[in-house]
Amino acid sequence: MSFIPRGSGTASVITGLGVVSPLGNSFADVADNLLAGRSGVREIDAAAGAREGRQFAAPVAAIPEPTGPGFDDFATLTRLEQMCLTPAATAFAAAGLPGGLAPARIGMVLGIGAEQLKAWELDFLHGGRAVLEPRRDETLVHRLARRLGIAGPAVAVAAACASSGYALALGRSWLAADRVDACLVGGCDILSPTAIAAFYNLRALSRRSDDPHKASRPFDRDRDGFVMAEGGGFFVLERRAGAAERGARVHGEIAGVGMSSDAHHMVAPCSDPTQAARAIGLALADAGIDPAAVDYVNAHAAGTPVGDAAEAGAIRLAFGPAAATLPVSSTKSMSGHLVSGAAAFEVVACLAAIQRDAVPPTVNLDAIDPACALDHVPHTARPHRVRVAASNSFGFGGANLCLVIREAA
Amino acid sequence: MQTLPFESATGCVLESHALVEVPLAEIRGLRDAPVPDGAPALPPRFLRHCDEHTVVGVRAVLEAIAALPDPTRPFDRYGVVGAPRIAGRITGAQTLVQAAAAGGIAVSPHVVPQCSLHALASAVSVALGMHGLNLGAGGGPEALSEGLYTAISLVNASACAGLWLVLTEWDEEPVLDAVGRPTGDPLCRAVALALRPPAAPDASTVAFTIRNADPIAACDQSSGTTGHGLADLARAVAACAGGGGITSWSHICPWGAEIRIVAPAAAARPARSEDRGPARREAA
Repeated sequence: MSFIPRGSGTASVITGLGVVSPLGNSFADVADNLLAGRSGVREIDAAAGAREGRQFAAPVAAIPEPTGPGFDDFATLTRLEQMCLTPAATAFAAAGLPGGLAPARIGMVLGIGAEQLKAWELDFLHGGRAVLEPRRDETLVHRLARRLGIAGPAVAVAAACASSGYALALGRSWLAADRVDACLVGGCDILSPTAIAAFYNLRALSRRSDDPHKASRPFDRDRDGFVMAEGGGFFVLERRAGAAERGARVHGEIAGVGMSSDAHHMVAPCSDPTQAARAIGLALADAGIDPAAVDYVNAHAAGTPVGDAAEAGAIRLAFGPAAATLPVSSTKSMSGHLVSGAAAFEVVACLAAIQRDAVPPTVNLDAIDPACALDHVPHTARPHRVRVAASNSFGFGGANLCLVIREAA
Repeated sequence: MQTLPFESATGCVLESHALVEVPLAEIRGLRDAPVPDGAPALPPRFLRHCDEHTVVGVRAVLEAIAALPDPTRPFDRYGVVGAPRIAGRITGAQTLVQAAAAGGIAVSPHVVPQCSLHALASAVSVALGMHGLNLGAGGGPEALSEGLYTAISLVNASACAGLWLVLTEWDEEPVLDAVGRPTGDPLCRAVALALRPPAAPDASTVAFTIRNADPIAACDQSSGTTGHGLADLARAVAACAGGGGITSWSHICPWGAEIRIVAPAAAARPARSEDRGPARREAA
């Protein structure tokens, strides 16, 4: 199954990148911190709605204001708007799209799972009552697109924790169908008291409040849930031929996309790895590569007991014998779970592995769960030539996504 | 300014459709008994925690399945795009009010998975065993444009045999009291469309196509609604599918792209064209 003809010049490449995360707000900082095995998890102020006195998460310390003119009102924006605007504007500026490119030929896809809930909550916590009012406010993707001068299609998509990955998939489909010549894609999320409380009550969050740095421990025998985080990333995608024609710097290629659904449960993860493995297989087929051609898997693994084991099974199923020597890590062990922004952030992690020739580690992986047997990279980065990386993202409601990221030609 | 294409792109064709409109007061009953005659059963109490948009959206899918010549056919290779317009507000408001009073213990673990943008699509996927992609799109005032554009884009760019597009809205946004209870009885509306890639020349079914925006004209577009609502879409689809005298209908997205619905064999039929897009432009 190939969605985009290979070698036809329609492959989608990344020509601009912006990131805001608990591990830094530039590609270089994020790569440095991931490969050094540093954790962004720390104790945070117990916010309204939190269940425990000691609350921990992986926050963004400070959201930098985008550089350049037109951002004078940055301080007046909500935290969600700031969290999205900075990496989006950074990626857009970094791509250096030619001035002659018609704005209507530039699209935008924002992956964001609970925009309204977050916006209502931010307003409510500041004394507003917008949630009670029958309003139809314009959504963030349209505000961002207008601010950045994007006049092509602008869509918000959501697949829970895989949202920003689906944004890349949709933007890539627009390029392939010639609906746009460039597309700004990605997604971000913010820490929210309501979301923290909901996930806590769902028993999805780690409760290791005595040692926050050790709380996010994907694939470990003693894992007990994930750690909430915030941030995300944006990318400018272009067709390879167009990027080459204008001599754009290419960070990497989105070589394959695979999507499937478990159709199992609205909340509970699926222990059957069949559909997750199918998404991986579809992505490999879309990229036109064999399992053995993949050099690194950035796992979704958030640290939940059922989800991590199911993903390990999916990787073994999809990659077959190649899985025995295929390095796998979960960067959520360091970044926490960026929820809507996770998939985009993990594309950045894959690009770091490709550009730095090293696989970032899974920190806190002290005792590998036998149910999660894979070629893990515990504690410290592993020097390794990475030409092709696969990044898994799975979300509530059974949404499965795999992206294959290839080094720039 | 370079010259760029303004072409008619390959779209998809319609397999089935349904419109469901339910007053808020009747959604509780629908939640308990959502399955119409002839439609497949759902898992027990499946809609118990779902948002109102999801309840009505799932019902619309079931109605569309029941309308098929073979309602027992499998949809396991189908995907779902769910495009609600402002879902989750009633539960969201009640959650915020209760959490402010009682703290985090008052926050239901269902609020995020059931009131987020993905929830409608996920519910359809889970309820009916669909293993293609499931994805939320839109979420705000432009959900109709975003849902249509996303579904037509993905039906040809995924491994799915077809896609269900489910669009939902309140006819009037609910007015809530200080604790988040609705004070009126607005109508919740859902349209379900079963779409699949077109078989080579296929003039026997309703077709959906996207025309790219005219790049120059679209530069002058201000954001805003197109003036087309979900009820208009439902009427147009029904008219095109049922020989209602309309040969085509257009929806102009805020970014200028035109989504066109064309009746079967429209070119060969002398019926009138009803292009009701408010700012429709002819191709250059």
